[in-house]
Amino acid sequence: MFVLLRDLQRLRRKVALSAPEVRGSLAARHVDAGSCNGCEHELGAASGPHYDLARFGLTITASPRHADILLITGPVTTRMLEPLRTAYAAMPEPRMVAALGDCALGVGLLGDPEEWVGSVADVLPVDVRIPGCPPTPDVIAAHLLEAMRHRS
Amino acid sequence: MSDVSSAATQYDRRNEVVVAGTIDSDSWRDEVSRLLDEGNRFVGLYGLDAGTPGGAAYGGPVRALFAGAEGLRLLTCRPSPEGVPSLVDLIPAAGWDERETHDAYGVHFPGHEPLRPLLRHDLDLASWTVPVRGHDPFQVAVGPIHAGVIESGHFRFHVVGERILHLDVRLFYKHRGLERAAEGRTPAEALRHVQRACAACAVSNSVAFAHAYESASGMWPTPELARARTLLLELERLYNHLNDIGAACAGVGFALGSMAFAALKERAHRLNAQLAGHRFLFDTVRLGESKIEVSAAAADQARRELADLGIDARKAWHEVIFNGSVQDRFVGVGLLSEADARRMGAVGPAARAAGAISDARTRSPRLAYEQFVPSSLRRPEGDVASRVNMRALEVDVTLALLDELLSHAVEPAGSSRAADAQPVGVGIVESPRGETVCIVETGGPLVERLHLRAASYANWPALAHASVGNLLPDFPLINKSFELCYSCSDR
Repeated sequence: MFVLLRDLQRLRRKVALSAPEVRGSLAARHVDAGSCNGCEHELGAASGPHYDLARFGLTITASPRHADILLITGPVTTRMLEPLRTAYAAMPEPRMVAALGDCALGVGLLGDPEEWVGSVADVLPVDVRIPGCPPTPDVIAAHLLEAMRHRS
Repeated sequence: MSDVSSAATQYDRRNEVVVAGTIDSDSWRDEVSRLLDEGNRFVGLYGLDAGTPGGAAYGGPVRALFAGAEGLRLLTCRPSPEGVPSLVDLIPAAGWDERETHDAYGVHFPGHEPLRPLLRHDLDLASWTVPVRGHDPFQVAVGPIHAGVIESGHFRFHVVGERILHLDVRLFYKHRGLERAAEGRTPAEALRHVQRACAACAVSNSVAFAHAYESASGMWPTPELARARTLLLELERLYNHLNDIGAACAGVGFALGSMAFAALKERAHRLNAQLAGHRFLFDTVRLGESKIEVSAAAADQARRELADLGIDARKAWHEVIFNGSVQDRFVGVGLLSEADARRMGAVGPAARAAGAISDARTRSPRLAYEQFVPSSLRRPEGDVASRVNMRALEVDVTLALLDELLSHAVEPAGSSRAADAQPVGVGIVESPRGETVCIVETGGPLVERLHLRAASYANWPALAHASVGNLLPDFPLINKSFELCYSCSDR
């Protein structure tokens, strides 16, 4: 296992993520509003050992009550509209919303329009836009670190 | 490229569908019973719009698919004004199919009482939960939004103290109407819808659709195409299994294991991007052809990376299997018996870990699995430990398959025309979670009906059943040991 951890040091150096100029913290709550699970996998990878966003002060928090930013994936389905609004309402202010992935941004939505409400921007004010299908962990990291910089 | 005639002589009928005609609702159960008595196996059931041939003014027909030694049989039932007699007593695995067909197509299933909603969410609690009575039972509601980075779905646990008496699962929060949206579109457009049903099963679902479409069109893949798709399927299985072992470690708070396997999974993703241009292999499956090109040098480099990954995976697995506190949490938890796995139609590693050995790779003549033998545990206990061990075993098999598949360059490939076109085609593929079925009905150049019955859909009822009798805090672990997709089921 120690061999693995040594490898990690090497692998992490390959990820082009520079330390943010401003030190701070950002607590994020994730809501899957109807994604294909790709964005969830990549968000998980962003907090995994290669990218390890926690070292920049970025954490995924269990409750929207403790969150600075809501990370929303997928087109917003009719069935997820109310839970999404409830999660947003539970956040303390000031609060931010990130649309994570092309579906959340309303790009190339697939499915029956009767089953979804639309993009995240159709439902909530969006502050951070993270493009990609799914966005790679370094793209997610770069956007969230940028959001953290603006917030400080 | 093999020539057309040699491909035609290899035409293997095991996964080809025979349309077995339309039956009146009076003889529906007798006919199904006869098929089951003859040794056929239930594969799926779905509804169609009213006005479809075989239906009536008051309701569309219902089709059920069965698999046997002589291939697949698709049976259609013409509903009576009362509906279609339920099959759930003959086939418990058809429970969700009937509930979905009722919600989506308004078909009643007399005999399926109560017919609880599956897709519909606008009803009160009593209509979709099982009443649990007795001394002091109470309900614990979890979701649809979970504490971690997880898909959305709602679990309602009926518990006494910490003990789970019953679990009602309410999914379909992520229902995007992908099947409906694919109807009336070209097969290439329908493929995009099927692929985006689920990122983690994108290749499996796409290949199942491609097989269904190609079967309906009378096409047969060249050996090169079969090999390219098998490569993609095994690459998908590799990162999924690595992810799932790590997830089980996370389920007991074993950070060392979860991080080690997360790192391995990341390496698998990067290899996917290197070989096929996308970390999740999106848009790599095409109808009737493959454009994947891997030079002999690149294939050799990938083999070396996979060999390294295999060594590290075994090291990490060593830490999991010989860690007493981890194994203490894994063993004996979330039991699914072999009888229940078979009765409920469970599939994939979860079923194999219970001793119900079935693997669609053994019946995939359109893919390159000629010598494939499904893995089996020496003592399949059907618990969390067995399901995790099963995946570790299958990682080794997948690595061996990939080593073989990458032993020479991968070239772009196509299909040959081997049979006459027919209106229905079926594709059955072993996804990382088990047997995934795609049924395509075509009307001329367009897709008329598309049905995707993913492995997760088959396994959700088994997961709910395996949770009964366990402690509530063990549910996340049991859930992760099955590691089912919500998006595959919700569509």
